[in-house]
Amino acid sequence: MLTQTSLNRILYGSRGFRIRVPISSCTLAAGAGEVYRKVIKVVEEHGVDAEVYRVGCTGLCFMDPWIELAREGLPPAIYGNVKTEQIEHIIKNYSEGDLSEATAVRFKTGSGGPPALEEVDFWRYQVRYVSRNCGLVDPESIYDYIETGGYLGLKKALYMKQEEVIEVIKTSGLRGRGGAGFPTWLKWKIAYEQKNDVKYVICNGDEGDPGAFMNRLLAESDPHRVLEGLIIAGYAVGATRGIIFVRAEKPLMADRLEKAVEDARKLGFLGKNILSSNFNFDVEVYRSAGAFVCGEETALIAAIEGRSRPRQRPPYPATHGLWGRPTVINNVETLAHVATIFQTGVEEFVKHGTEKSRGTKMFCVTGAVKRTGVYEVPIGTKIKTLVFDLAGGSIEGRKVKAVQIGGPSGGCIPAELMDLEMDYESLQSYGAIMGSGGLVVIDDSNCMVDVAKFFTSFTLAESCGKCLPCRVGMRHLSDLLERLTSGEASLEDIEVAQELGESIARSSLCALGGTAPNPILSTLRYFKDEYVEHVVNRRCPAKVCAKLVKYSVDPALCRGCTQCARVCQVGAISGSPGEVHRINYDICIKCGQCLIACPFGAIKKV
Amino acid sequence: MYRGRLNPREVVGEVVSKYGCDRGRLVQILQEIQKTFRYLPRESLEEVSEKLGVSLSEVLNVATFYHQFRLEPVGRYIIYVCFGTACYLRGASEVYEAIRRSAGLSNGRSTTEDGLLTVEKARCFGCCSLAPVAMVLSSDGSERYVHGKLTPQAGRRLVFNYRSKARE
Amino acid sequence: MVKVYVNGVEVEVPPGVPIIEAVEKAGYRVPVLCYLNDFFSEATCRLCVVLVNGRVVPACKFPVSDGAKIVTESRELDTYRRMNFQLLLSTHRIKCWSCLRKTSCSLLDLSKQLNLGEFPVCSECPLTGDDCLVAKGEPCLGPLTAAGCSAECTRNGVPCLGCRGYIEDPELWRDSMRDLYEKHGVDGEKLEAAAKFFWSFLPGELKKIISEVSRDK
Ligand SMILES: Cc1cc2nc3c(=O)[nH]c(=O)nc-3n(C[C@H](O)[C@H](O)[C@H](O)COP(=O)(O)O)c2cc1C
Ligand code: SF4
Ligand code: FES
Ligand code: FES
Repeated sequence: MLTQTSLNRILYGSRGFRIRVPISSCTLAAGAGEVYRKVIKVVEEHGVDAEVYRVGCTGLCFMDPWIELAREGLPPAIYGNVKTEQIEHIIKNYSEGDLSEATAVRFKTGSGGPPALEEVDFWRYQVRYVSRNCGLVDPESIYDYIETGGYLGLKKALYMKQEEVIEVIKTSGLRGRGGAGFPTWLKWKIAYEQKNDVKYVICNGDEGDPGAFMNRLLAESDPHRVLEGLIIAGYAVGATRGIIFVRAEKPLMADRLEKAVEDARKLGFLGKNILSSNFNFDVEVYRSAGAFVCGEETALIAAIEGRSRPRQRPPYPATHGLWGRPTVINNVETLAHVATIFQTGVEEFVKHGTEKSRGTKMFCVTGAVKRTGVYEVPIGTKIKTLVFDLAGGSIEGRKVKAVQIGGPSGGCIPAELMDLEMDYESLQSYGAIMGSGGLVVIDDSNCMVDVAKFFTSFTLAESCGKCLPCRVGMRHLSDLLERLTSGEASLEDIEVAQELGESIARSSLCALGGTAPNPILSTLRYFKDEYVEHVVNRRCPAKVCAKLVKYSVDPALCRGCTQCARVCQVGAISGSPGEVHRINYDICIKCGQCLIACPFGAIKKV
Repeated sequence: MYRGRLNPREVVGEVVSKYGCDRGRLVQILQEIQKTFRYLPRESLEEVSEKLGVSLSEVLNVATFYHQFRLEPVGRYIIYVCFGTACYLRGASEVYEAIRRSAGLSNGRSTTEDGLLTVEKARCFGCCSLAPVAMVLSSDGSERYVHGKLTPQAGRRLVFNYRSKARE
Repeated sequence: MVKVYVNGVEVEVPPGVPIIEAVEKAGYRVPVLCYLNDFFSEATCRLCVVLVNGRVVPACKFPVSDGAKIVTESRELDTYRRMNFQLLLSTHRIKCWSCLRKTSCSLLDLSKQLNLGEFPVCSECPLTGDDCLVAKGEPCLGPLTAAGCSAECTRNGVPCLGCRGYIEDPELWRDSMRDLYEKHGVDGEKLEAAAKFFWSFLPGELKKIISEVSRDK
């Protein structure tokens, strides 16, 4: 669908030379702002005839900030981890045809030189379907989106009957990417069949899972794709209004979506009689004040209505949603898939994935890996492929111990099960969930009990407090884990944790409580020995749990610099300059400051 | 504590007339008020409850439910240390402790005595690949910086830099 | 009307009503707490859980659907109900001896229904205020004894001797000791003598507390 001329226009721009600088939340944090300014300066000072072009992020966060230079006749080259002082040099060399410093090129024109993207590990295993435009186009330009085939999907959809649109999604087999994997067409069909003159469609961009940011990345890098999907959804169910629900903590995402809505309205993709059809539809961006539970669909609706807590389903939002009207809620990525399916045709979509779950999914790989980032792979890809091939495996000298999948309500999959093919069902049967697709890699420097404690305290803090099992039960679980990590628990407590966890999971009102015990249950399932070690030997094998570790001075390394004695707030360290220092365990409060302060690495945790 | 001599009740009046007496706009109204005062003064909440005709407890319910809202005055710069999963596993707690110590905060206080800095925990900013991350916001919302790949040392530098910046 | 099966019993109810109506119509009972018909039904306490086609749902809110198979009793459900009830009690300051709701306590009813001995005899004792035996200075063990006997002895003016066994929660002992015995100046020696009747069943910690109280006097 993207013709060669269009692609060239996008790649090289009207002046035949485009320098792409990614401007999105994550690249800005890595210093892309300075890079952007510097590139503009260099281009002006040296009179380079190039267009400095703002794009979204590719998801290759490990090489932020990156820039891409593309001049007609030369392969577009991507430079990772650039520093401002290198830029002049890079631009000069590239202009002269010397690509040797590039991390990769988009495609090769000859032999030799830097590898093409399809040859490098972090790209090779990906199938960039919804994220095709990320890092390629200017997210704030509707024209660029149209150039890549944008809003063609909407045109096609508007030529069809509503039932036909739903039928297309049905044959595609698209399932919700927001967590539960509910068939999208079914949701639409139920809402479509409701007799009601007012219906709503909502794009769920709350994304509260810490460790997952694919929705933010997609909406910041290609907001029109999400919007197009939402308009199609609106048409299919017969809605008159759409709402994009975004957190105030992610302001750039909200700004870009707002800009997209405005531009689309100007060009007649929104408003009355869209593209001369008789379909009227408008969209508003809603900035939420941020609470994890608001990602849950009934809580999200309640939040828009000015209340804040989930309610028992049924009735489901598709029949009884916002202000009591039929409402379809879809995830950002689901909607982007909808738009892309209509643009490329169903055949392109169903090529990938498994029998039960078609298509691709974006996964965020973070934590203890070499190449953190967002990778789009077919559903059913092995965990191994994501963690080791794409993300490069563990950091030097460490060993991957487990992968936490699905955010705070997901579970930990141990390293032995890395061959598992990730789809909704298989993950669930192993105690995790797909969730929004965040993978946090845990290595041997992390303690699994501490990890469970972390997630439990997260869900406890995020519990809305409406129903009893989640509100009180999670408090007990959290206290229990606190006792475990302080070495004060008994083996009986572990049994209680198991029983209580199961009870909370089964009897809570919403899925937050329903999944909140997952981290503790799954770590109990695969890492029970670590729990037992904390109880029986009062020892933390990974040396993380503060109350169970001791700090000691390695006499071979200590040079008597007195740094540690000076930072110690309680005066537990003694020793005169030049002599090996000693820690008095009766006084030490295990704050760990000496460990940070020692310039010779002589303080050790034992 | 208020900036200038703004009267919370007047400000609420303006904001409410902008959004209308619509209960459904409660979150936006509070957001707007917080933009003005950097936090939600008690009087403003009382005024909102009167104007919208919802009980004060309900307004407080919403104000305490969302992370964005603050009921206490804050420092000039707020340092949010991310306690999301990726950041936590990469040592956010050590960074947080280092920042608190060098800001001189103890006993559960979160704002320094000179009123320049506030240190708080936050949830994921979506920059997990740069973990551990801290976001610094000026309390009027005009400046926003994200700092990635922090260490305890970098945390201490951060406090130093923003403290001198706040003094300016 | 839709047809549903409650523990195998077929009943017909109007569509959309909560399951609890079908359950009641079929002649069964489930424990409810937060459900107040039209007044409040947000399904927050999760004590009324039942199984519908294998799914755990609150009977007070979940609507019936045609042909639904409802199970109201099973080991699993019992575990959840007890667990949730205990969670509820863990946040409840039990002070039945001075509670205003003394004679109409839904928690107490539920505790009996679920067969949990978490309340002291005081919760069932109708003697309040000046009538309370402890207030009269009698060494009544009601505050320390598990409820469930309808407080027959105290009703008839005989101080409780604790024949039903002692309540398990040490926090409760402390509260009752402080709140009641000390306040009303119960003679420590008499108290110890009364407790000695079933002394061998008395948990060690409680023994200690009683001895302490009696020494103070
Ligand atoms: C506690 C909780 C948090 C959730 N957070 C999100 C979220 O941040 N984004 C999202 O798209 N869905 C989230 N969901 C799932 C939504 O409830 C809903 O299933 C989803 O938006 C449906 O969209 P889909 O069918 O496109 O997946 C959350 C669910 C729960 C229970
Ligand atoms: S499960 Fe937790 S978050 Fe969900 S309604 Fe109950 S208390 Fe609220
Ligand atoms: S976990 Fe810290 S930014 Fe996401
Ligand atoms: S009675 Fe409380 S949930 Fe049903």
